[in-house]
Amino acid sequence: MRQEQAEVLIIGSGHAGGMAAKILTEKGISCLMLNAGPIVDVARNAERKPAYELPYRGFKPPGRLAHVFQSNEFNANVWVDEEEVPYTFAPQNPYNWVRVRLFGGRSLFWSRQSFRLSDYEFKAKSKDGFGEDWPIGLEDVAPYYSRVEEIFQVYGKPEGLPQYPDGNFVIDENPWPTSMLRFAEAGKKIGVPVCRQRSSHGRDGLASSINLLLPDAFATGKLEAVENAVVRNLTVDKNTGLINGANFVDRLSRREMTVKAKRVVLAAGTLESTRLLMNSGLANSSGVMGHYLMDQIYGAGITCSVPEARGGKATRELMGGSALVPRFRNIDTKADGFLRGYALNVTSSLSALEARNFAAYGAELQKKMDEYYGSAFHMTIMGEVLGRYENLVRINKDVVDAWGIPVLDIQTKYTDNEYNMAKDAVKTAVAMSESAGFEVLSKNEMPNPPGYSIHEVGTCRMGNDPKTSVLNKWNQSHDIKNLFVVDGACFTSAGWQNPTMSILALSMRASEYMAEQIRQGNI
Amino acid sequence: MQRREFMRAVVSAAAAPTVLLGQQQNTAAPTPPAPVPWTAGLNPSTPVPTAEIAEAVAEGAPRFFTPAQMATLTRLSDLLLPPIGSKPGAVAAGVPGFLDFFVGSSPADRKQMYQGGLDWLDSEAKKKYSKPFAQLDAEQADTLLKPWLRTWMSDHPPMEKHADFVNVAHADIRAASINSKPWSDAPAAGAQEKTQVALYWYPIEPDPYCTRSMATPQPKRGAKPTQPGTEIRRNY
Repeated sequence: MRQEQAEVLIIGSGHAGGMAAKILTEKGISCLMLNAGPIVDVARNAERKPAYELPYRGFKPPGRLAHVFQSNEFNANVWVDEEEVPYTFAPQNPYNWVRVRLFGGRSLFWSRQSFRLSDYEFKAKSKDGFGEDWPIGLEDVAPYYSRVEEIFQVYGKPEGLPQYPDGNFVIDENPWPTSMLRFAEAGKKIGVPVCRQRSSHGRDGLASSINLLLPDAFATGKLEAVENAVVRNLTVDKNTGLINGANFVDRLSRREMTVKAKRVVLAAGTLESTRLLMNSGLANSSGVMGHYLMDQIYGAGITCSVPEARGGKATRELMGGSALVPRFRNIDTKADGFLRGYALNVTSSLSALEARNFAAYGAELQKKMDEYYGSAFHMTIMGEVLGRYENLVRINKDVVDAWGIPVLDIQTKYTDNEYNMAKDAVKTAVAMSESAGFEVLSKNEMPNPPGYSIHEVGTCRMGNDPKTSVLNKWNQSHDIKNLFVVDGACFTSAGWQNPTMSILALSMRASEYMAEQIRQGNI
Repeated sequence: MQRREFMRAVVSAAAAPTVLLGQQQNTAAPTPPAPVPWTAGLNPSTPVPTAEIAEAVAEGAPRFFTPAQMATLTRLSDLLLPPIGSKPGAVAAGVPGFLDFFVGSSPADRKQMYQGGLDWLDSEAKKKYSKPFAQLDAEQADTLLKPWLRTWMSDHPPMEKHADFVNVAHADIRAASINSKPWSDAPAAGAQEKTQVALYWYPIEPDPYCTRSMATPQPKRGAKPTQPGTEIRRNY
């Protein structure tokens, strides 16, 4: 057994942990990374198959993954099984906790939408009085966003909108098809901006910790990693109050292991990082740990058809492509019924419209589907969820996971702010579509359950006041200075944006600060 | 040793003799010492056996629906997705038997929706036409089905009683048909959908000591929601 302490122990290997490993090792600091699940080898672990070769013809295996709406029979084995690692909630308020424990975590499967937060998020309280401002602003994070965008090869176009901050983009000059131009024109009439999407292209089609961050860290020779290491708790030096290591259980052998470390970076994913701190009984002098769980509302939206594309007339000039409507509510005017705002994902496709868009069956349905083929135009919401004290997670001591570790009880629900926002989004989408001459086929105003967006953030929020926040503006614990939490748990407000770019930029920023503190001998 | 490394070691041990022999051919290599490791035979030139899917050669044993429910489901499947062009209909795609297996393996809420829905259709048929649903002609059945058809977005099927069953069963019958081998084997016309072919992930380093019974059961679903929209929406 090794005697010396790891310079830095990193728990988690996704975007947050991968970035910490890259930055710290490139500064010459040795890191030990623990990841709860195994390394994936796609050549060995996966194979292309037709659905009829699977037991359930592609349907999600019955009884499994009830809260992972994204799952199906093809991908059922990549998600954390909610019986192996359960969580609890009040039956009337279910939560969709969507987890991946493979090496690289959810960075393997994310949708790659790549947005900066704006000062409408960082300084949200100053604008509308609700919640808390972040202790940082866009100008603090912008240089890190730029470097992250470079690494992740973010395609986009400068739009000059303060709520949709421009970045270091590979310029996307693809011309929009005419249906998208019509939609943008319809937006212009009612003051709704329709912009270019921003998306990470990464390398070889993958924009993951696995191919963009971890290889750089391993190349330094300073990173050691252990797979299948399920961390039970962090340990503390009684004399100094500082963290001095962690206990973990080997997932496969069930052997209990101990590792010593001088400093810890938590990057296990928002709720797992918080669960680990709570199970360790650490860093919560403020009492706000676990509170202010946020995400984004998804699931509301509409599906349309572009009439000119029907009857086999869909062409690349008319259809296809995507756009983003950034938040436009509560920017210059005040919306009725809700604070903050939402974005709309806009996609147009040259392929089939699903059968459920037609109230027909049999030959009549097939005729409709033939006729409408290639004319699909979709809008779906990404709406900000307000940070509320009463939306929380806590340890449920009565329930343990497969390794005997107490699980999280998740108590969260949406409020009228979210429901009103979803209704407004559908109303606006319908108005724009009709103005553009599209036919609305189906719509839904009801958000999916909380958690569905896989954008859970908060529960260890950052702030300047140690009495009302868990982390300082460098993602460092107010209570324990050799502890950093670099994943989404640090968020003070959620925004409408996919949080990945912000998690990456904040992890980079925190890791550079940490490296400097180490160099100066402060931690 | 990690299992992956072990497997690599096995593979390279198996591959090594061939490579070495290849390199030594010009120098009249000595015959390798017998016996040759049996794993040397597990190489790409040894064909892997081919297999049929069980459904192609055998019938599933019915186990869940009653004979009356099965008759209703079979008629419903034939009505909602009849043979069109060269494609088989839902019945030829073995959908009623598949759904008997699939629904019978499912949590209680899906079971109840199917059982209740099939019984309801049959009783409506008897009320209106004095015969079972299975014996209705297409026009008669249409009067029972059409009023309940809705358009909807994924994860949000209709919640209204009867509309929920009709629309979810319709979606299930279509998906089970399109993802069947008979459908896949038949040529498509127009915009007929394709069988899903995708990357299937095997269990990745499954935990040999994990027994599902160790885990604590989830809270029961189906309790009255206090907020609209937060209940689980028929996502099994």
